[in-house]
Amino acid sequence: MRKKSTKGTSSFTDRWAAQGLLFVLPAVFFVGLFIVIPIFMNLFLAFTNYRGFGNPYRFIGLQNFRSIFTDPSFWLVFTNTFKLLLIYVVALNVVAVFLAVLIADMGAGFGTFIKSLLYFPCLLAQVVVGFVWRMILNYQRGLVNLTFRGLGLDFLALNWLGEMQLVIPVISLVIVWFATGYYTIIYYAGLMAISPDYYEVATLEGANGWQKFRFVTLPLLAPAITINVVLSTMGVLGAYDLPTSLSSGGGPGYHGTTFAILVIRYVYETYQMGKALSVAVVMAFIAIILGYIELKLLVRREVH
Amino acid sequence: MHIGGHVILIFVAAVILVPLYYVFINAFKTEMGINLMPMGFNPKYFTLQNMTNAWRLLVFPKALLNSLILVVVSCGIIIISGALAGFSIAIVNNRLLRTIYITLVLLISVPFQVILIPIVQILSTLNLMNNYFGTSFVFAAVNMPFAVFLYTGFMRAIPRELCEAAIVDGCGMGKTFLNIYMPLMKVVTTTVLILRGTAVWNDLLIPLATITNEKYDPLVRRLYAFCSLRFNRWDLLFAGTLLCSIPILLLFLFLQRVFIRGLLVGSIKG
Repeated sequence: MRKKSTKGTSSFTDRWAAQGLLFVLPAVFFVGLFIVIPIFMNLFLAFTNYRGFGNPYRFIGLQNFRSIFTDPSFWLVFTNTFKLLLIYVVALNVVAVFLAVLIADMGAGFGTFIKSLLYFPCLLAQVVVGFVWRMILNYQRGLVNLTFRGLGLDFLALNWLGEMQLVIPVISLVIVWFATGYYTIIYYAGLMAISPDYYEVATLEGANGWQKFRFVTLPLLAPAITINVVLSTMGVLGAYDLPTSLSSGGGPGYHGTTFAILVIRYVYETYQMGKALSVAVVMAFIAIILGYIELKLLVRREVH
Repeated sequence: MHIGGHVILIFVAAVILVPLYYVFINAFKTEMGINLMPMGFNPKYFTLQNMTNAWRLLVFPKALLNSLILVVVSCGIIIISGALAGFSIAIVNNRLLRTIYITLVLLISVPFQVILIPIVQILSTLNLMNNYFGTSFVFAAVNMPFAVFLYTGFMRAIPRELCEAAIVDGCGMGKTFLNIYMPLMKVVTTTVLILRGTAVWNDLLIPLATITNEKYDPLVRRLYAFCSLRFNRWDLLFAGTLLCSIPILLLFLFLQRVFIRGLLVGSIKG
């Protein structure tokens, strides 16, 4: 990338260097003041007994971190977060690849209709999606349980959002419902970019449908899958609106709470700023690692 | 194979449509109608009361206006600053600008929780809490890296000869940007508008952190308070969620192609 960009660009680079800085100034100002400085401020404040705007604070070392790492609910939330990431990312990408392949097979007409339909949920506010599914999954009168009871399958009419073990998988799958369309369309575009020649050769060699998928589609889609896995992990790490609406603020207890919700609960529910700041640092660490991978993948792809 | 595929896709369509239908049909039924026939419809139970109640309790017009202001101000900032930065990074392309670019890409998806507490501190210091500009600035900042990334990618793809020709014709950097590059960026600009506009419109967390006076609350934030407060009143919940989705629904019906194209443009580089 660097080699390509320095070739024959010296005229612009020299002539417009000063103005060039002026041009990036607004973007740098907003991002600097409202993202970069806050990241460092958060890191700094996590080592103080900060209590909110206007209160004096002083340095207290690692005390905040000690208090979250010795808190059993922190470790519960830690497990919840990774459970959510795992279930969501795997289910989402498997479903999206599968649907993209089916839609590509289907051709225009019906395929186009399904694409539009699938995309629609992503446009709804997550708050709307969360509350609608909270009603659908309601233990007593939700649509899901009414259906199971109507079919005589009472043992399946579970308390979806009230069971400690169920709530995180249920949240993950509702987010899958919400986000599938977006990723399906991206995978679909990836499939359209694969030359039909490969499939012709595969047909001539006598490959069946599964073999074509396994030995042609999957390897050629691999770069798209890698990027989407990273992007979807990144996207769900901070997911707050939908999970909190669905599980009424991360319940039962802390069983429906992830890091994204925990920070907010510490700030607005239990008023423990120190704990909130240190959980935010933990989240920043995870985000930096993911962001670094994302950057490598995106920049690498630009070269091709 | 094909029949199986159709069956699966029809099932998927149902999984998407049933919840949407469920909300739509129940928004216009009395509480009794909702309980007696959750999926059916009988004119006996028809009512517009839920919608008018939700409209009133949400203070819908005011909330809608608040949302619109936030979207317009933040998207204006995102597009102007994002395009300017993208142009400079793509054309001038020196080491400093490349470093800025890499930093911005790295910041594309920082979870808001990581910066929430300092943001409140900064806005309070600047006296920008409960202020349309304060909230819009935060929205602009959070969505900026993606916009810069997109503009940079697409501006790099424009042949440099165009820029050289502009210089020969006596265009300065500003004129080249405004008269030559921006008209070529229409698709990118609509993409940024649509993707970032809906993101701002739908967001709960940033208004939750930056607004404490409900007078300034945008629609989604108000809906969240409305639904949390009255979770047992399903008639109001159905009507409220439907009411708040109507603007997006209308936009999608009219601009479906633009939305899907925008998503693809956004994903090519992001």
